[in-house]
Amino acid sequence: MGWAAFFGIWAFVSAVILDEFTLPGPLKVWNEILEIVRGGSWADDFLISISKTFMGFMIALIVGVPVGYMMGRAGYWKAFFHDGVVGAGSIPGIVYAIIALVIFGIGFQGPILAVGLISMPFIALNVAEGLEGVDRDLLSMSTAFGRSDRQALRHILIPSIMPFAFAGVRLSFAIAWKVEALTEVFGSSNGVGFQIRFAFQGFSIAGVLAWTLMFIALLLLIERGLAIVERWLFRWRTWEQAA
Amino acid sequence: MATLQIEKLTKTFPPHSKDGRPVRAIQDISFAMSGQVFVSLVGPSGCGKSTLLNIVSGVDSPSTGTVTVTQDGKKARLGYVFQDSRLLPWRTVMQNMLYVSDLPEEEGRANASKYLEMVGLGHAHDMYPGQLSGGMQQRVGIARAFSVSPDLLLMDEPFSHLDAITARSLREELQVMWNATKKTVLFVTHDVMEAVQLSNRIITLAHGGTVFDDTTIELPFPRKASDPEFAAQQAEILGRFETMELERTAAKG
Repeated sequence: MGWAAFFGIWAFVSAVILDEFTLPGPLKVWNEILEIVRGGSWADDFLISISKTFMGFMIALIVGVPVGYMMGRAGYWKAFFHDGVVGAGSIPGIVYAIIALVIFGIGFQGPILAVGLISMPFIALNVAEGLEGVDRDLLSMSTAFGRSDRQALRHILIPSIMPFAFAGVRLSFAIAWKVEALTEVFGSSNGVGFQIRFAFQGFSIAGVLAWTLMFIALLLLIERGLAIVERWLFRWRTWEQAA
Repeated sequence: MATLQIEKLTKTFPPHSKDGRPVRAIQDISFAMSGQVFVSLVGPSGCGKSTLLNIVSGVDSPSTGTVTVTQDGKKARLGYVFQDSRLLPWRTVMQNMLYVSDLPEEEGRANASKYLEMVGLGHAHDMYPGQLSGGMQQRVGIARAFSVSPDLLLMDEPFSHLDAITARSLREELQVMWNATKKTVLFVTHDVMEAVQLSNRIITLAHGGTVFDDTTIELPFPRKASDPEFAAQQAEILGRFETMELERTAAKG
């Protein structure tokens, strides 16, 4: 029903308030989507954008997890990183897009850097929060039964952090995608963002909207997929919450 | 069976605030226990019972004094049952049992199954702790501690968080398990009735973390609270408790 209302309002605004050139109606955009899909190269553009987001995310994980681990384990490192990480998390995505463009110009590295920079603070803060919330009683149980630090890390610390880290991933993923596409709009020669700019430069608003809708559809699909994975990974929480 | 030797043990915690004083939880405690004995440590809240168990288990360290737990001259293997079950909520019952096991996978599973059967949870292997009641979780905690074949089993008020009926049922199951295995057990409780029901020996700690009394209980097992001898023994210990409290009040002036 939500979608029906959305498309209804869109069609109304397009036909009555604005005009077909300024805001093409849903049908025209749908035909444009079909055109793009028939063209065949859309999959490559999405694959390129996904790859860049994924690589940026890997950078965010590689930097964010150790930083979050240090913040969660020692007061000194928490004080050391806190303001920087929180500050980095509050910077608008467009600033990262511009920084990436300035450093790398038009190329594939820019979006990767932008995604890495925007995602890292969320991952670090969530990992730190997860570690601070580790149940000390479970750690003392582990010690009492003679388990090693490595076993405690694998069976207690990491599972304790995981729900927080996953929440951080989901949250930053949605933001990372937007920044990735934005950076492609400014400085890339391929990907979904580039296609949006290309359509805009060709005065094809239907093309802009078609690519945007396809982008939203993919984003929703990935978000739903992550939600399913999260439910499966943390199925034990269903009973914890019910208890 | 294990030998536990505690000599001149003192534990002082740092002050809670800058202006506070250090907190002395245990003061100059010495005692030893060995062989097929079930020893209960009783005493009022805050007298250092749990701290003592944490030091014996290696979770905490003494300020001064020594604690040695040996089995035939070697370091003894320990099992621990806590006040709450301390199960890993993200692991199933079987995975929780395997976490403390040093046996190869298959052997560990068979061993864990045996102890889960003993506590009546043979059907719960694949359940998560959140799916179990508090009493069932504590049963898993007991099975986990027995499953490591401990030379010394430490139990820290394991039934204090349970309702009276479940606690009674678990006490009876523990008695059966102890009779079957005859482990060396150090059991902390503030419930004198519980101590008399389960123990061969009761060590009473006083406020300030000192040993006030050390009594051997020679009643035959299984013990029922309704037996006159049981009631007499319980009254005797409680009488000593009252004496201890009176002496403390008098000392305070």
